[in-house]
Amino acid sequence: MRIFRSGLRKLVGRPASIVTVGLLSGLLVLIIVATAAVSQRSGTPRAQAEALLLVTFPGAYDIILSFILGLGGLFAVIYGAAIAGSEWGWGTLKNAVARGESRSRYMLLSFAAISVMVAVGLGLTFVIGVVAAIAGATIANVPTTGLSDAATLGRLPEEFLRGWFAVTEEAALGFAIATLARSQLAGIGAGIAFYFGETFATLFLPDIVKYLPFAVARASVAISGSAAAAANGGGGPGAAASLGDANTALVLVGVWLVGSLVVALGFTERAEITG
Amino acid sequence: MTASPSTLALATRGLRKRYGARVALDGLDLSVPTGVVYGFLGPNGAGKTTTMRLLTGLLHPDAGSIELLGRPFARGDRRRLFEVGALIESPSFYPYLSGRSNLRELAATGGPVPRTRVDELLELVGLRDRAKDKVSGYSLGMKQRLGIAAALLSDPTLLLLDEPANGLDPAGIVAMRETLRHLASTGKTVFVSSHLLGEVQVLADVVGIIASGRLVREGSLETLLASEAVVRVRVPRADSEAAIAAVTPIGPAAAMPPAGNEPVGAELWLRVQATPDRASEVNRALAGAGIFASALESGSDLENLFLELTGGEPLPGSEGTFQGIRP
Repeated sequence: MRIFRSGLRKLVGRPASIVTVGLLSGLLVLIIVATAAVSQRSGTPRAQAEALLLVTFPGAYDIILSFILGLGGLFAVIYGAAIAGSEWGWGTLKNAVARGESRSRYMLLSFAAISVMVAVGLGLTFVIGVVAAIAGATIANVPTTGLSDAATLGRLPEEFLRGWFAVTEEAALGFAIATLARSQLAGIGAGIAFYFGETFATLFLPDIVKYLPFAVARASVAISGSAAAAANGGGGPGAAASLGDANTALVLVGVWLVGSLVVALGFTERAEITG
Repeated sequence: MTASPSTLALATRGLRKRYGARVALDGLDLSVPTGVVYGFLGPNGAGKTTTMRLLTGLLHPDAGSIELLGRPFARGDRRRLFEVGALIESPSFYPYLSGRSNLRELAATGGPVPRTRVDELLELVGLRDRAKDKVSGYSLGMKQRLGIAAALLSDPTLLLLDEPANGLDPAGIVAMRETLRHLASTGKTVFVSSHLLGEVQVLADVVGIIASGRLVREGSLETLLASEAVVRVRVPRADSEAAIAAVTPIGPAAAMPPAGNEPVGAELWLRVQATPDRASEVNRALAGAGIFASALESGSDLENLFLELTGGEPLPGSEGTFQGIRP
């Protein structure tokens, strides 16, 4: 537990944590407020109604969540890679190992701290998004009566949990890539390339891509036809290649998560630490 | 060294390590007695840091064995390191955290560390006033001091320090030396790798010299220096044979080859194995033979011993050495 708590403290104080959440929520707020502000000037009533979807509850919940899970996946890969890569680049893993710490335990608990930070980051961004949507609704004179829609609020926890699990898997992927590369920059670069590479590959190999980590992450949150539809249609990897069954996708997310961690821990355990 | 295994804080036997085709360690046998400051000397690329990494489990040996504090140390014996403190190469920290936070987070790894230990160590290394500052703003010397504090976190029985004087100012070097001597006086063992011969000469009780991945000499500093006492005289090359004959009754003598790229000139150095107090005798013997030395040196410093044992030249496959400007 000492290492886990220490990992959390290190992540809370780390600029990358603040920048990641700041960027994600900043973009979300910007889109919501901008949409609300210009919706009145949309040419046709249909275009105006579509623009206002983002600030109309309860649908806004799903759109905000899908935005967070979509872009959050890319940010999670980068974040996971930055944390793992810096342990090698800064030589701090060396310090822990030379003090007799178990390599696997250290890395596993460091990742556990990352997964908690992912949950906190997603939760924070979601709350900021909802507050921004309420503000947007006020600007656009849209009623907020749907805020307390029981059906939507009832399924949000499950969607959120699935989303957190999916984004954690994406962070694990970045974590593993950076561990293999022993570098922050190489890990981040390879993680981004993987993210967009998967999108690109969807055009040619949809039957394979649907089993790949970003595609299964998106498919795993598709439980009720709301956030699911938005997430899968959000343009991210796997948008056109989905397993269809969210529960099968969730199992595959688990497989990718465990697989990524096994690779990262196995490599760390056997690696010769020269930096 | 002839210390019995039970009195050794650290021992290696036949330690081997390769990096691809390059042999970093070629059967290293170290014997570090308990309660001493051990100076581990060697030129760049001789294998000092590789040895330190092997001793802390960062690398795994290709062959050979390690004993830490009287017990075997291999893969899976990481808990043995709970009693070991180490500073290997440059100190490594989270740049965005303060000095205190870095020590606190490091204390979360390995063996348990008392809560008050971090502040005690910050005081010891003179960083208490800067403890809240981010490490990214620290100078090299401050990072080095923090690294020494990190090595001392678990109040280790065996302390492994790789070039600990790097970046320290003269006052810092003196303070570090006193701290390490104090630790040794309390029964702890301090293993210091360095290429600063003067520093090791004033700090170490026992010295090991490594070259090309092998231990070429090991023993108490006193014994090693006594065995290497020499008087050197510079005489005309034409008179060298006569000079050797004149001084041989005082001690074995031989002509020294030109150092490095030094051109062969009209004079050369003779090396007479004799204690410094016999330098005047050597001079008198030469004068008696009608040979007048243009220079005379005597001494038994570690530098002479080091250069003699390591050749003072880059070793095959090593990092090389600074060549200097030769007119």
